Amino acid sequence: MLETIKLSKTFKEKKAVDEIDMYLDEGESVGLLGPNGAGKSTTISMISSLLKPTSGDVKLNGKSTIKNPSEIRKVLGVVPQEIALYEELSAYENLKFFGKIYKVKKELLEIRIQEVLEMVGLKDRQKELVKTFSGGMKRRVNIAAALLHKPKILILDEPTVGIDPQSRNHILETVKKLNEETGMTILYTSHYMEEVEQLCNRVYIMDHGRVVASGSKSELLSILSTEDTIQIQLSKKSYPLLESIKGMEAVRRVEETNEGIRVISKKGSNILSDLVHAAEKVDIQIIHFQMEDPSLEDVFLHLTGKTLRD
Amino acid sequence: MGSFLKKDLLVFWRDRKEVLIALLLPIILIVVLNVALSGLFTDDGESMDIQVGIVEEDNSLEGLERFEEAVNEMDLDQAEKEAILQQTSVFNPSEMIISFFDNPEIKQVIHTKNVSEAEAVELVEEGDLHAFVRIPEGFTYAILSSIMLDEEADVALSIQAEEQSNELNTLQNMMNNFIESINLELALGTIAEGEAQEPLLPQGGREVIEGVETYSFTQYITIAMSTLFALFMAQTLAMKTVTEKRERVFNRIILTGSHPFHYLMGKTLATFILSWLQIIITFTISQLLFDVFPDKSLEFWIGLLIVITAFALTISGLTALFTSITLNLQDTNAASGIFSLIIMSMAVLGGNFTPIQILPAFLQRIGEWTPNGLSLTVILEWIQLNNSGNLVIPMGILFGYFIVFLMLGMAIFPGRGRN
Ligand SMILES: Nc1ncnc2c1ncn2[C@@H]1O[C@H](COP(=O)(O)OP(=O)(O)OP(=O)(O)O)[C@@H](O)[C@H]1O
Ligand SMILES: [Mg+2]
Repeated sequence: MLETIKLSKTFKEKKAVDEIDMYLDEGESVGLLGPNGAGKSTTISMISSLLKPTSGDVKLNGKSTIKNPSEIRKVLGVVPQEIALYEELSAYENLKFFGKIYKVKKELLEIRIQEVLEMVGLKDRQKELVKTFSGGMKRRVNIAAALLHKPKILILDEPTVGIDPQSRNHILETVKKLNEETGMTILYTSHYMEEVEQLCNRVYIMDHGRVVASGSKSELLSILSTEDTIQIQLSKKSYPLLESIKGMEAVRRVEETNEGIRVISKKGSNILSDLVHAAEKVDIQIIHFQMEDPSLEDVFLHLTGKTLRD
Repeated sequence: MGSFLKKDLLVFWRDRKEVLIALLLPIILIVVLNVALSGLFTDDGESMDIQVGIVEEDNSLEGLERFEEAVNEMDLDQAEKEAILQQTSVFNPSEMIISFFDNPEIKQVIHTKNVSEAEAVELVEEGDLHAFVRIPEGFTYAILSSIMLDEEADVALSIQAEEQSNELNTLQNMMNNFIESINLELALGTIAEGEAQEPLLPQGGREVIEGVETYSFTQYITIAMSTLFALFMAQTLAMKTVTEKRERVFNRIILTGSHPFHYLMGKTLATFILSWLQIIITFTISQLLFDVFPDKSLEFWIGLLIVITAFALTISGLTALFTSITLNLQDTNAASGIFSLIIMSMAVLGGNFTPIQILPAFLQRIGEWTPNGLSLTVILEWIQLNNSGNLVIPMGILFGYFIVFLMLGMAIFPGRGRN
């Protein structure tokens, strides 16, 4: 239904988005993950027709949207990363204004405003000025404003950044409901792997302006099928031990965790006995160890070398 | 377009500070300048000789500097800071009080003497002074921040005397009138050891400064201040665009697919309505307070209304242009700087601060071509000559300005918000 073809954007020298190919099928819920500065917002701006691509195309049902963006604007609801509301107006007044300029029919608008307010759970606070709202409430109005015209596709750019868990849950529930009950197509950008795991059928992982991996959860996890993760609990911390493990040939990465260390090694390399030896050498006992299933977080780390939130 | 207009009016209305500045400040200035410069008390009849000590502890320059610093430290963007500072640049509380006592008509009744507080107390005790007026340290700063920043003033003007007397009464009344008329009661308190008398109602400054012109000082001040603040209005509304851009509402507006000209026309129309109302309200209150235009015919008022309307239209065109410029410039602070410069030059050249006649001839000629200078001149001529033929060409020019500004604004409006 919506696809990008070699979509690129260069700011001065900097390639913010670099030949991205993405697609969204009708009714899908797709995640877009990436560390800070990966180019997620820039991609979204280009898809939503706010930013002209340096090259490449955005197609809606096979038709380019670059020259004539009016079609895509009609079917798209965009929840921007920043709160895009009039602080001096109430939630209701904001929705009324945006509803009117979205050309929602007069007799429908009132009903529609109440519907979206209900969805985001702010019906009883609608008369209050946006500037008096908490961050979470503003985010919810920000979402409501993108829903007024019943978009077929909803794009959310980090809608849960910096808010309380309650509002966050509410937002996740709302998005899930929209996708499952009304069949709305969702593109969900986030730093939070667990949100994307919970909401999305498919994920794109971006880094440095490129899509570094994509697919369903299991497809992404299979990227790591070449790795084993062993969680080890030690009697005490030891720097020399850490170094000697890092030095082993089969070991790819070692991370310190709360209880001990996590060792990521080549699949089937069977380094357990080596680990035990190494520990004995420096007089440290291995209290407990466990083979771990990789998580999407690990995939992300593997691909970008960064954890999601740093 | 109606939705945009309504939104712009509502957003403006919600900003209480903005509304107060737009409506109250011109009137305060008209009253202050009028009281300070044209005298209030000629019909007081009996000649009195009131000896008053002035204890000036306030350093108004320092106060202004401190205020400027305070504004700069506030969590506002550059544009709003500049707007506040610009509006205070014409407003100096300490000086107003001093110039009140300097007014020749006041001088006939009140004789002042600058003294230190200790001297003042002594002189009052000895009966050499009827009272002394103390302008406390930090007065300028306190008044400015109470008016402009909504902060509680912690210092107040005070009158102190040893005993109740007629002279003291008169002094108190005059001061009360003065203070009441500048509407600073919120910030100033008058204290006297004797009982305060019922304040008199402010009396209109009806006398004309004689000889120079056939229009009165009050008339000039009323027109100059109302057109000046209408100019500020153009900037104020255009600067709302900065907020809309910064807060990404502008992007959201583009995403709705609504025609960008509706956005621009909403702003233009809102400015027209607001500046028109502002001028009309300023004139009306000024007329009620001072009877600025006594015994004028209906024809006069209609003519005045036409000029005001044409001027408000020009102002709205200016906003359209400013709005488009704002949307085109990456650096919104630069935009606001440019607008301040344009507005201030227009105000100076157009004679909003001082009558245009004191400028060098070539600047006068330029000044007469600014929309505000033109309107000012036309209204002053209209007062004196009442010749409707004189209105036609200037109205054509003002309307021409409107069209040109609007066209330019439309031409450079960033079509679809892409870059
Ligand atoms: N208007 C612009 N001019 C110049 N560079 C820009 C502009 N917008 C974005 N960039 C750069 O492009 C890169 C991608 O930015 P983008 O905002 O798309 O990242 P993001 O993935 O959304 O990050 P975040 O998670 O922090 O929101 C960044 O390096 C950013 O500095
Ligand atoms: Mg972003």
